[in-house]
Amino acid sequence: MCASVKYNIRGPALIPRMKTKHRIYYITLFSIVLLGLIATGVFQFWPHSIESASDWSVEKRSVRDVPLVRLPADSPVPERGDLSCRMHTCFDVYRCGFNPKNKIKVYIYSLKKYVDDSGVPVSSTISREYNELLTAISDSDYYTDDISRACLFVPSIDVLNQNTLRIKETAQALAQLSRWDRGTNHLLFNMLPGGPPDYNTALDVPRDRALLAGGGFSTWTYRQGYDVSIPVYSPLSAEVDLPEKGPGPRRYFLLSSQMAVHPEYREDLEALQAKHGESVLVLDKCTHLPEGALSLRKRCHRHHVFDYPQVLQEATFCVVLRGARLGQAVLSDVLRAGCVPVVIADSYILPFSEVLDWKRASVIVPEEKMLDVYSILQSIPQRQVEEMQRQARWFWEAYFQSIKAIALATLQIINDRIYPYAAISYEEWNDPPTVKWGSVSNPLFLPLIPPQSQGFTAIVLTYDRVESLFRVITEVSKVPSLSKLLVVWNNQNKNPPEDSLWPKIRVPLKVVRTAENKLSNRFFPYDEIETEAVLAIDDDIIMLTSDELQFGYEVWREFPDRLVGYPGRLHLWDHEMSKWKYESEWTNEVSMVLTGAAFYHKYFNYLYTYKMPGDIKNWVDAHMNCEDIAMNFLVANVTGKAVIKVTPRKKFKCPECTAIDGLSLDQTHMVERSECINKFASVFGTMPLKVVEHRADPVLYKDDFPEKLKSFPNIGSL
Amino acid sequence: MQSWRRKSLWLALSASWLLILLGFFPLLRLAVPSRPWAGTPQGWPHWLDAEFLQSFSQPRELLEDVPQPPQAPRGGSCDWGACFDTSKCKGGGLKVFVYPAAGLISETRRRILASIEGSRYHTSSPAEACLLLLLSPDTPAGECSPVPPHWNGGRNHLVLSLHPAPCPRTFQLGQAMVAKASPTVDTFRHGFDVALPLLPEAHPLRGGPPGQLQQHSPQPRVAQLALAEERGGWHTAGTNFSVCPWDGRCEQNHGPKLTHPGATLPNATFCLIPGRHPDALHFLQALQAGCIPVLLSPHWELPFSEVIDWTKAAIIADERLPLQVLAALQEMPLTRVLALRQQTQFLWDAYFSSVENVIHTTLEIIQDRILGVSAHPSLQWNSPPGALLALPTFSTSLSDFPFYHIQQGSRPVGRFSALIWVGAPGKPPLKLIQAVAGSQHCAQILVLWSSEKPPPPRWPETTVPLTVSEGHRKVSDRFFPYSAISSDAILSLDAHSSLSTSEVDFAFVVWQSFPERMVGFLTWSHFWDEARGGWGYTAERANEFSMVLTSAAFYHRYYHTLFTHSLPKALRTLADEAPTCVDVLMNFLVATVTKLPPIKVPYRKQNQEARPPLAPEGRGPRLEPQPPVRDCINQLAAGFGRMPLVSSRLRLDPVLFKDSVSVLRKKYRSLEKP
Repeated sequence: MCASVKYNIRGPALIPRMKTKHRIYYITLFSIVLLGLIATGVFQFWPHSIESASDWSVEKRSVRDVPLVRLPADSPVPERGDLSCRMHTCFDVYRCGFNPKNKIKVYIYSLKKYVDDSGVPVSSTISREYNELLTAISDSDYYTDDISRACLFVPSIDVLNQNTLRIKETAQALAQLSRWDRGTNHLLFNMLPGGPPDYNTALDVPRDRALLAGGGFSTWTYRQGYDVSIPVYSPLSAEVDLPEKGPGPRRYFLLSSQMAVHPEYREDLEALQAKHGESVLVLDKCTHLPEGALSLRKRCHRHHVFDYPQVLQEATFCVVLRGARLGQAVLSDVLRAGCVPVVIADSYILPFSEVLDWKRASVIVPEEKMLDVYSILQSIPQRQVEEMQRQARWFWEAYFQSIKAIALATLQIINDRIYPYAAISYEEWNDPPTVKWGSVSNPLFLPLIPPQSQGFTAIVLTYDRVESLFRVITEVSKVPSLSKLLVVWNNQNKNPPEDSLWPKIRVPLKVVRTAENKLSNRFFPYDEIETEAVLAIDDDIIMLTSDELQFGYEVWREFPDRLVGYPGRLHLWDHEMSKWKYESEWTNEVSMVLTGAAFYHKYFNYLYTYKMPGDIKNWVDAHMNCEDIAMNFLVANVTGKAVIKVTPRKKFKCPECTAIDGLSLDQTHMVERSECINKFASVFGTMPLKVVEHRADPVLYKDDFPEKLKSFPNIGSL
Repeated sequence: MQSWRRKSLWLALSASWLLILLGFFPLLRLAVPSRPWAGTPQGWPHWLDAEFLQSFSQPRELLEDVPQPPQAPRGGSCDWGACFDTSKCKGGGLKVFVYPAAGLISETRRRILASIEGSRYHTSSPAEACLLLLLSPDTPAGECSPVPPHWNGGRNHLVLSLHPAPCPRTFQLGQAMVAKASPTVDTFRHGFDVALPLLPEAHPLRGGPPGQLQQHSPQPRVAQLALAEERGGWHTAGTNFSVCPWDGRCEQNHGPKLTHPGATLPNATFCLIPGRHPDALHFLQALQAGCIPVLLSPHWELPFSEVIDWTKAAIIADERLPLQVLAALQEMPLTRVLALRQQTQFLWDAYFSSVENVIHTTLEIIQDRILGVSAHPSLQWNSPPGALLALPTFSTSLSDFPFYHIQQGSRPVGRFSALIWVGAPGKPPLKLIQAVAGSQHCAQILVLWSSEKPPPPRWPETTVPLTVSEGHRKVSDRFFPYSAISSDAILSLDAHSSLSTSEVDFAFVVWQSFPERMVGFLTWSHFWDEARGGWGYTAERANEFSMVLTSAAFYHRYYHTLFTHSLPKALRTLADEAPTCVDVLMNFLVATVTKLPPIKVPYRKQNQEARPPLAPEGRGPRLEPQPPVRDCINQLAAGFGRMPLVSSRLRLDPVLFKDSVSVLRKKYRSLEKP
């Protein structure tokens, strides 16, 4: 190749002689290259295809083909579960190490088939539900296939149902897992614990320190803050399609649908039915129907046949009674039907009770009060009942619906214990989506009047109107509670005046230079702001009196979570145009204040800069307008409260300024501002502004009272 | 030709480069024996026969498990269902009997007993009581526990020990619940015992110091981290805690540090509290100081953990992961820090600031267990004003209370009921009735006739229903929660009050924005009287005020329930004996709940009626500059344990109030008529 390059450089003299030779040469070279490319292509995909083929064979193999493990009869058995275990005693957090995403890593052991010495299997290999559960974990963010990085280990040994396993041998199988280490950081899932005759409320398999996600814990076996109480999955969830039914009164007030009810309790239930007649329905299995799979989905009362679980939707309250086990799959069906469960199972730890507030979705009645159930339920106001119905359905959708939902909720609970500072809140666990949407949680919820001594920081945004700026500085510095003045110099082409030229004032004055001429610079949370109260003021607002500003600050102290400003504005719904309109006329109502001069909490600067929804911030900077409307939207949206307009002031027009082409400018201005409101309302997805009919004046404002005795005599004019 | 050749040459060149680039790595991979790919998770396999797997349980098994008879509690262990007999608690909520003190007792103990006896829960008959409360002795001199007379194996008993018991108990606790300070997690029985905070010896009985937090956000220069020291003080690390201030192990490494041996309250954003038992005392200090407690694997149950959501006010972290915890604290978003700090203050004020609060919270928790479905929702426990001030007997629906409208996205009902109290002269306030009935927001008028004279048989025709009820001699009866009141808002009036329809309309619209506060026309203000060393209050017009007179005020009907059912009897009696006091008492109550001043709206007749004669019988026209029973305010301050009143310097006026614009533009124009 080098040669050919040389040749190329040398020029045309040699060409005729070497012509045919070269052609052959090139053709061979070309074919080599071509072949090479083809080979590369094959190389590129060939190993992949080999690997994916082998993957395929690994992943898509049969459960029957898994490796066999023979457990010697004398292999070690773990200790029984340690009842005193807590996260900080039995759980090894070092394995969870540092994780920037605050997510634990979960490893799943590969599936094996365990047999004892004589070759008899220890249990059936894996159930459909456990396979689904492990798939759900594997598909989640928690999963890792790197055993050395894992924080939590999930054995593939299926212990969902204790009846299907041999206890001692299962324990031996657990003990020989490669990272077992007394069960530390191992998580077992069990839905049906115990066995005849005494039906323990926790899995009987000795498991030492392993965490247990169990369905049917009682207060005696549940290790608070260590174990996780899970629901008993109802296979009907997947089999039957049950459309949602809204809350409201239903045909039956109270329904019992369980087949296996202890005779004593059945007597009680029937007594209830006898007493209250039609409104109580006690169902039993159908004796006169042919046996079969279908009969499981039928319930009978005398000779009436009802479809199960559809019948649950006909009742307001549904009894969930303890059977041999505390955890009952019927709970899941009942929740799904939007029927409020009446849980009658003393000492039962309800599913996910660590995070779910069952008081909102169920009624818990002690077993000895069974006969009073009806009167207890009747004392609940209808509004609360409907709330509970909604809540019940939401719990099912979020946490009961599928094996996946159950698995992920369990892992989330454990995750929250390990990274408590990133834990999910009560509201996130419990509030249905509609409530989450409608509710407002004010970030400054504590009723508090900040001390006057703190004062406020005035922030003046300026470009180059130095003369006017200096007047503003001089005026504002007369306000007694001013503690600092911050000038935001928004002009990159011009330096601020020299230090010696600035007015001498009694408080510190700082100049901050910005990198870009943007309106949002006025709402930046500068480190220099040391007070909670911020006064945003334009560099041409010289008409506000010292009394007016001081009073504004005092009003802010009484309403520290609101925007407190002077001229008020209003938004109106234009019925003709079907959109919002900006209004600056003399109205009796106010929903916004101009931030040309306004007091507010500095936290809102942080919100404006970092948490402003959508593209509003950029939009404002691009249009060089409406930053004040954006701020009004933001504060009203996050606090759910209205602004406070202070004193009679209606506009900021300075007397000296002459309006240039006043009217038409005003017109376009109004149109732009209206556009802003419509734009912001669509970004926020709602209209957060609140309309009020009041403004704040000093207590003795315009009262017949000696002026010299008033605190704020000079409150200014319109 | 040449160009063709050159082109093809370049093509060949680049193609061979491509070949090398593309071909090298796969070739390398082939050469090196392949191993499982690190990084790409393999995941749980998808079984070919997944569809054919058996369900974990047979349908029949789920439906027909063997029914079991009820079980008895095992091993002497107790839970609520097994060991508490709720049948004794029917109706009227929790009734508590306290064992009277026997023999010599300390002063504090006597006062605690007195406080329980004065509370709304108390009953003097052990037979009637649903809960029997045994106060554990607090001094070694105290008599050490003979078995109490109504013991009955401890059933329905609560053994309350505010401080660790100085002497061993001589009898078995049996089925009694235990409320003690910082119980260890191993012995604590969830849902049965109650975990109390570890109180310092000198914790105030009533009222108690307010939280230290004066502003919502942390001050910029305050230390980020304080560490609880064994000796009881706090040890402040600098603003930057990148190096570990852990157990003093790397103390020499970090920058400015200050130890305040005298200062008991930390001044920092986060307070690290080790999990050892004695450090529980630091927990309360941190709460009071508004310093977010960071608990490191606490070995004790957090106080009132049954109802308080501590994740909203504290961080419970694992002591074994110090660096992660520190990093998490440093990276914590400002919004969360704000929320946590405010919550510490709310919790301190609502449940921990005094011994009385702690005891009432304990009893309220037990009452909630008895109430079952109608107990306080979690939101009431965990947001201001707290469960002690939100009575579950009032309503189970949050939107009936004045406090939760914003959180719930609801609004108060848009009408009001006027409640007119007719005192001694017994003249029907016809003009007032007409003015009030003229308001578009008025739903009904109730006249409480409490004059000696019989009420007139005929009342004016009004557009709204008018009801007259008789026989309310006691002043405090005007704040009784009459079932006839259907609206959220009440306009409380005296027969002497004089209001115009416009005034009523505007005040009501303002009240709708502040449903938890009182909105009134006439004001008083309180002050500290240096000379007399006590509080005083005045009706003189001033630049600020802290009370509004109930002779003309809007407030939420919930305050009637609170007034009647939560105030100690002694305070209500005080108000009945000195009727001017009732206004002060109502203002105290509302201020305790809201921690905010009331709201004043404009009042036309201000000048003529600077001191309104609002007294029913015996109060007389209030012409003296000071309200007569001046000591009322001091007795109330003692009764509440603190001065709850807050001053305001503003009045809410209509937006165009007295502006120099056309009257026609104004909605409330008659407000401005002289």
